[in-house]
Amino acid sequence: MRKILSVLLITVVIVSLLGGCSSSNKKDSGNGPIKIAVAFPMTGDNAEYGKSFLLAAQIKVDEWNANGGVLGRNIELVNYDDKNSGEEAASIAQKIVSNPEIIGVLGHFSSGVSMVAAPTYEENKVIEISNTASHPDYSSIGKYIFRNNSVISSEFKVIEDIITNDLSLTKVGIVAIKTDWGTTAGAIAADMIKNNPGLELVAQEEVLEGSDDYSLAIAKLQEAGAEVVISVGMYSLIAPLAKQYKAVDPDIQVIGLSNAYAQQLIELGGEAVEGIIFPVSFYADSDEEAVKQFVTAYVEEFGSEPSALAAQAYDSIGILLEAVKQNGSLDKETLRDTLNSITYQGITGETKFDEIGDATKEYTKLIVKDGKFVRYNGKAAQ
Amino acid sequence: MILQQIFNGLSLGMAYALIAVGYSLVFGILRLVNFSHGAVYAFGAHAVIFFIGYHFGLIPAILLGVLLTGALGVLIDRVALYPLRKKKSPGISSLITTIGISYIIQNLLMMGFGSEKKPFPKLFDNRIVHILGARISTMQIIMFVTSVILLAILTFLIKGTKIGLAMRAVEQNEKNAGLMGINTNFIIAFTFFLGGISAAIASVLISGYYEILYPTMGFMVGLKAFAAAVLGGIGVLHGAIVGGLVIGVSEGLAATWFGSQYRDSVAFIILIIVLIVRPAGLFGRKGIEKV
Repeated sequence: MRKILSVLLITVVIVSLLGGCSSSNKKDSGNGPIKIAVAFPMTGDNAEYGKSFLLAAQIKVDEWNANGGVLGRNIELVNYDDKNSGEEAASIAQKIVSNPEIIGVLGHFSSGVSMVAAPTYEENKVIEISNTASHPDYSSIGKYIFRNNSVISSEFKVIEDIITNDLSLTKVGIVAIKTDWGTTAGAIAADMIKNNPGLELVAQEEVLEGSDDYSLAIAKLQEAGAEVVISVGMYSLIAPLAKQYKAVDPDIQVIGLSNAYAQQLIELGGEAVEGIIFPVSFYADSDEEAVKQFVTAYVEEFGSEPSALAAQAYDSIGILLEAVKQNGSLDKETLRDTLNSITYQGITGETKFDEIGDATKEYTKLIVKDGKFVRYNGKAAQ
Repeated sequence: MILQQIFNGLSLGMAYALIAVGYSLVFGILRLVNFSHGAVYAFGAHAVIFFIGYHFGLIPAILLGVLLTGALGVLIDRVALYPLRKKKSPGISSLITTIGISYIIQNLLMMGFGSEKKPFPKLFDNRIVHILGARISTMQIIMFVTSVILLAILTFLIKGTKIGLAMRAVEQNEKNAGLMGINTNFIIAFTFFLGGISAAIASVLISGYYEILYPTMGFMVGLKAFAAAVLGGIGVLHGAIVGGLVIGVSEGLAATWFGSQYRDSVAFIILIIVLIVRPAGLFGRKGIEKV
């Protein structure tokens, strides 16, 4: 009995394996919708980001579909939930590359997770565009790996400009979240300060996200005499940090990164985030028609204003579809080359990928003033 | 600087202590490490913010939220742990079940409230008091006083009331307690009710202090509180408070001497050392049952 059962089981396993082969050999039928995968955390700690990026991507796809799609075919998003975990992302990447109808991927959320999935996409010549990864090594993983987000070092150049020219401060402290990204970005910030003779790095602290008490790090920064603090983290770090820091030193100047630009920053931080300055590549209150159109559609669905990252998700889908249109076919290799050569005018400014797949971004400086994000033009202009 | 960090560590430790009391309480009566405590803690803050959203006013919202969280404790016991007890499953099944429950609660909170960090209203006007050149905020003092009061009430309840006597009887021998006419299932449910209430009180105070709440807020702090409870001798209520303070202060000192990137590992390093040197914890006595 047992023997029969085991033979039966083995047969089932072999058959199912063969079945797997045949489905992965399936070719794109050529008349169904063109599919783009969207892989972000849809559940778990960072679900808010995944949901907002999916919506932004969907708005762009809806715009194209309303104008007849691309290459005469409709566009469809396929949604995956990577839970912001490397293990999940690895298996999702396998699923995506085994589906020949998928031409590209928008994702993943954190740099660490994107870098786990990227080699799979590279090997199978599937384009990956991340609108969030800012780890310096991400885009150099391969030819098919693109980044439509600022590289962290270019953002720090703007921050350097803010500190030295706009604020004329010298003593800088850094607080970074303890993740792969946070540690790398914190080190880049430290290098930037050390290489600038006009600036002095007084303290560099790392904090764990999820422990909401930053008083220990703050006491060290304050003791070291920091005049300005660079917060390397999302709104969820900068808002409580500013609150707790201003309780002990009301004069501290806090500087954020572009990913601090989210409505929740003001909701969470209240008065304490007044005066926070950061560089952004997208400004939701801009007068440009395209921006207004996107913001209106987004607010209608989501209830709050889009972040810079959501705007980059919207533009990433746009540039990918534009590349498909100009390429005229779905051939993987030429599509990749087209994507790398075009210049795309989107809501986050002009986007063009360089050789390693990084987009260069132009920055606007924003400051929180009276509970709103407004443009910052230096201290004198305020 | 050192003094300031000790004060910071003390207020941090108070937060751990408040949560650790709940771990110790349930363990003291049921010999069960209730890993859903961190999620129940997060539920407490969300329940309060939910009632505030419906314009109940701050105080009634807190009361309702705290009671609802107590009820959640009872519900967890009824739905998940009572059937296990009835089948006489080994203790490890109950423990694993509480881990599962914590994920269910966390994810339900995410579905209901979203995963983003939300603001929590300020409970008191926070003033800074200077003691020996170090700053301490009124909120920190209030947290300290509240957890001492909570500890006193719980100790009185267990040591000085009839229901406390029944709780101790259940702890010593559940079967015989039942034979003596004690409704053991009620007593166990009541213990979970108290555990839920203490978690909710802790979450209201801590969220009010940091003015922030989110579904996974109980995870890290729950683990450290567990370390605090074990450090103080799990099952011993005043041990939980001391354990919390010790861990808080050591984090403060670790941040000062080694940098704040090492602060979070300190709680667990202490936990491991204690488990090696004194497996029963600072106040726990080996072999003698304690409440």
